[in-house]
Amino acid sequence: MAPRKALLALANLLIPVAILVFATGFFPYKPFMPGLAEYEDVTWMSQQGESRGDLQSPEAPFDKLVFMVVDALRSDFVYGEESGMSFVQSLIRDGTALPFTAHATSPTITMPRVKAITTGSIPSFLDVILNFAESDTTSTLATQDTWLAQIKAKRFGDKQGKLVMYGDDTWLKLFPDFFERADGTSSFFVSDFTEVDNNVTRHVPNELLNDDWNAMIMHYLGLDHIGHKAGPKSPNMVPKQKEMDDIVRTIYTAIENEDHLSNTLFVLCGDHGMNEGGNHGGSSPGETSPALVFMSPKLTKITQNQADVQSPMQPKTEGEFDYYRTVEQSDIAPTVAGLLGFPVPRNNLGIFLSEFLGFWDTDSDRTQLLYRNARQVKRIVQATYTSQIFEDLETSSRHTETLECNHLNGGEKLACLWNRAVRQVVGNDTDITKREHLSKFMYEAQDAMSSAASNYDVSRLFLGTGLAILICMLSFFTISSLRPVSSAGLYYSLTLALYAVLMFASSYVEEEHNFWYWITSGWFFYLYLGSLREGKNNSWLLHPALMALVIHRIVRRWNQTGQKFAGADDIVSSGIFHGNNSMLLWVLVGATYLDVTNRISRHIARSVVTLDKAVATPRVDAEPEQQHRMMGSLIATPLCVAAVVFKLAFTAKDAPELTYGISEGIMERVEMLNLVDLARMVFGGIALVFAWILFSEYQRSTRRAKLHIHGNGDLATAFLDMFTLFLLTQTKAQNVPLYLLFRIQFFFLTLLPLTQSQTALTTLLLSQTSFFALGLNNSISSIDLSNAYNGVSGYNILAVGLLVFVSNWAGPVYWSVAGVCLLGGYGENSARETRSDSITTGAKPKRSWVEAEHAHLHDLAKPKAQIADGKQEKDVWTSHVALLTLFTGVMLASVMAACTALRTHLFIWTVFSPKYLFAMAWGMAWHLGVSLGLGGLVWRMGKW
Amino acid sequence: MASATGIPAVPAQKAPATPIEPLNTDAARIYTHIHPFLVLSLYAFKFNDLVADPVPALLSTLLPLAVLQIAYVAICLPPTSGTSTPAQFKKQKLGDKKKPAPGKLEKGINGTIVPAFLSLLLTTLASTPLLTSTLVLFGAPVTTHHTHTLLAGAHIAVLSTLPLVYVHGVSGETWREAVALLLPIDEVYGGLIGTVLGAWLGAVPIPLDWDREWQKWPVTIVTGAYIGYAIGKLLGGTLLKGRKIMFE
Repeated sequence: MAPRKALLALANLLIPVAILVFATGFFPYKPFMPGLAEYEDVTWMSQQGESRGDLQSPEAPFDKLVFMVVDALRSDFVYGEESGMSFVQSLIRDGTALPFTAHATSPTITMPRVKAITTGSIPSFLDVILNFAESDTTSTLATQDTWLAQIKAKRFGDKQGKLVMYGDDTWLKLFPDFFERADGTSSFFVSDFTEVDNNVTRHVPNELLNDDWNAMIMHYLGLDHIGHKAGPKSPNMVPKQKEMDDIVRTIYTAIENEDHLSNTLFVLCGDHGMNEGGNHGGSSPGETSPALVFMSPKLTKITQNQADVQSPMQPKTEGEFDYYRTVEQSDIAPTVAGLLGFPVPRNNLGIFLSEFLGFWDTDSDRTQLLYRNARQVKRIVQATYTSQIFEDLETSSRHTETLECNHLNGGEKLACLWNRAVRQVVGNDTDITKREHLSKFMYEAQDAMSSAASNYDVSRLFLGTGLAILICMLSFFTISSLRPVSSAGLYYSLTLALYAVLMFASSYVEEEHNFWYWITSGWFFYLYLGSLREGKNNSWLLHPALMALVIHRIVRRWNQTGQKFAGADDIVSSGIFHGNNSMLLWVLVGATYLDVTNRISRHIARSVVTLDKAVATPRVDAEPEQQHRMMGSLIATPLCVAAVVFKLAFTAKDAPELTYGISEGIMERVEMLNLVDLARMVFGGIALVFAWILFSEYQRSTRRAKLHIHGNGDLATAFLDMFTLFLLTQTKAQNVPLYLLFRIQFFFLTLLPLTQSQTALTTLLLSQTSFFALGLNNSISSIDLSNAYNGVSGYNILAVGLLVFVSNWAGPVYWSVAGVCLLGGYGENSARETRSDSITTGAKPKRSWVEAEHAHLHDLAKPKAQIADGKQEKDVWTSHVALLTLFTGVMLASVMAACTALRTHLFIWTVFSPKYLFAMAWGMAWHLGVSLGLGGLVWRMGKW
Repeated sequence: MASATGIPAVPAQKAPATPIEPLNTDAARIYTHIHPFLVLSLYAFKFNDLVADPVPALLSTLLPLAVLQIAYVAICLPPTSGTSTPAQFKKQKLGDKKKPAPGKLEKGINGTIVPAFLSLLLTTLASTPLLTSTLVLFGAPVTTHHTHTLLAGAHIAVLSTLPLVYVHGVSGETWREAVALLLPIDEVYGGLIGTVLGAWLGAVPIPLDWDREWQKWPVTIVTGAYIGYAIGKLLGGTLLKGRKIMFE
């Protein structure tokens, strides 16, 4: 058996290697140009033919910047008819504000968006991971060219530029030591709607009186938090918009009245939007359409000749979020650069917003601005397409013919467009034509450079995929029961094959839950048929497999997930748990906790009796008596009450509409409690009780060892139940009753004589099913961060990361552990049977699957040597791991192959890349950490 | 998946169930092959209506389908002899071979048409609700589309169980064996398995983002059932005939 285990270990060690190799090829660091951009000399003959010598850079209309970011400020929150931002709308009508919709590219989460806004580049997908692992310092922009760095480097009058920053500490992490004064707030406390914003606003009046800064950056988080909690239609949303509007009014009034602020450009923008669920990360119209408003009394200069702008207004397309002109988010950087008079940051791919050209009176200044912008973009294009020839002003003057570029592609087309534009610039065309050609080049360059296809390290993609396939092969050969082919094995292969194929279909990646629901239904029915064939179970209607199927049917409707039917009615959102009906939810939640309490108290009772009768009786398993049971309840009840109170207090802050059914008196008291302390109390209690159980079980196991009796898995079951309580704490209230259903399903499964491969398959299917049933899907926006800070008061990457994983993968984690208990036959009934077994006869407990296996072997009358029981037991775990590893291998291989094959697909960044991120989490955290790590621990516990 | 391995039906302790042989008449031999085409043609003919508005189309197709199925069982299949044991049944069948075609119309009606209609009745009363609830268990909508699901269940029932009731009657044991996939495969049983598997596989295209009208409930399920029926009946009557489904 040794080579088999070695192969299996190798396969599992290769999992992180394959994942990392592929990830570095798939999400490469984009090469960026170091150093700060500087004004260069540009010379050309203007159309009049007079030589100008070196052109001075055009004089900037502004010398101060107030940059106000409101997290998740979707365009309709400012421009729409239901918006609360009436002051901004009045400025738009007056012509002192210029509104845009700033298209944010996926991934629509804060850090990459801030990068796009400040550098003008289009950040790589890698920033998603870095966004969650915020402490990573390699992602800082300290060495990159941004408009912040430019302001810091520029001399305003006789002083260096100075920056101040208030709000989201992402900025402080991205720009360490950039700010003269700063006060950061953490964005992870999502249930905090007011404190985060007050923390910013309290600095505003003072800073408006200070005249030492040149740029003030504010980043408000409250609106995003409201979205995460209750969506864009939350009753808190409009008041929050009004609050933001008031801040805009304060600042704008100061700009109007204070002399030192008179040349201040005021920018209000969102970093991304939100979808109808209030989440973001993906690429739906809502998520990619934040608002962007430039405000200043001086803007009347460029708006006076325009037609009156309507505000509030309807979006151009019904149900979309396209208000006014849609620009790219990266256009902010060159626009700010132009308006404040410093060079465009070097890695910028944005285009100066043409509306603002009106600030400059002469045509040559306008053309020069665009030309400098275009020249800078050209550098990046040139670095990407090194084989193309991009002409200079000097060289191009020799050519006079007009180039026709439309038939070309890629780098050739860009080079052609650039050369054409350069020839126009030196030629005798009107300035309007010159600017048209420069813009044409920049738009094309922006399109080409932001498209995904340019930056893969294809050899690494193939290497990673190859490694994943190697994992599949290695683990395939470690599967013991290839012959004879079992039906479970066939169903397992069918599942894997279908899954591998479906990973190539974008709609099935989005609707992956449907596959798992479908295949799991089939599997339970199949178990039902298999059991009927045996003819042992007489009840054909109330059959355990059928009951498991019924519960599966309820579980899959609990949360609607996926994209195609997103927002369709499900059990949670149907209204039966909302408002005054929420009593029903809390009855179910109570039932779930009561069930757990009951189980835990039984475990405690057992440990009490073990320690109590340590000397008195030589028997291994004394039956708990009345007083022991009492003791168990006395300990378990306070723990679980604390857990329920925490859930109640958390929900009151998290989703208050779910607590309206509970009397106000109770809620008032509960809301006074400190969530962090409560959570710590619960976690600490769980750890304490489990430590005690561990100790007593250790006593029992030493006693058993003396009598040469094997363990019966009590400790594993105890772990499952204690762990359930922990998972419940990490689960949203509306999902808590699911664990009651899971537990019932587990109970029915213990009644079925499952073989080892059947158990492994059941574990896999239910892990996947429960992941989606808890409301997740393969888009980043479905990741829930609300339970990330339970019991954590500061930012601790390890604790928060762990809690985020556990709260999102709670279902799969539950089923991994439960699957191990199923594998060992530690379920409810069998445990009791085996206990009485060992009491009465002291015989080795027979596991139900062992019986089944024996019967099966007997039936087939195969001339296979009967393996000794002890050896076979060890074997069971290895076989289990082999099947789980094969699944993970196939999952990784198929996702990687799909990402490689479809790397130029339209949906690569919106569907397949997020899927790969999820596959990483499944492979590393779930498979290696939970299935093997935690599962192996539980398996060993069961043997105690 | 259950596999139809090459092992022929092994004699067990109890009287073995034997595969159903179609009647030994010319009409039976011919019609048993025409029948699937007729059923599929009926479905193909109604398909556009079905996509446009499932409920009326399913409802109006149900009667012709039932007529076709009744004709099929009456012409091609040996009726069950009530509570007769398989042994008697076998004997009777042998008798049939010896004296071909009694030619009595009355006997024909009593022997075939009446059981055929009884099977239809049973299919409607018992197997339609059962199959409909199975559909719901497998994920059919609960709060909406009740008629859709019920009619889909009815179509699957008429396709799959009507012939089975006709040849096997209502013996509980036989039905347990049928559900447990223990009967030897023949064209009737193959039809049942094909229909059910087809309906299950029919759910696969629903989540795709093709935005086609036919992806709506329950068009793909019923289509899968019809195609599965034809394939299952064909394979059951020819290639896989007499084999037993092995599980382990």
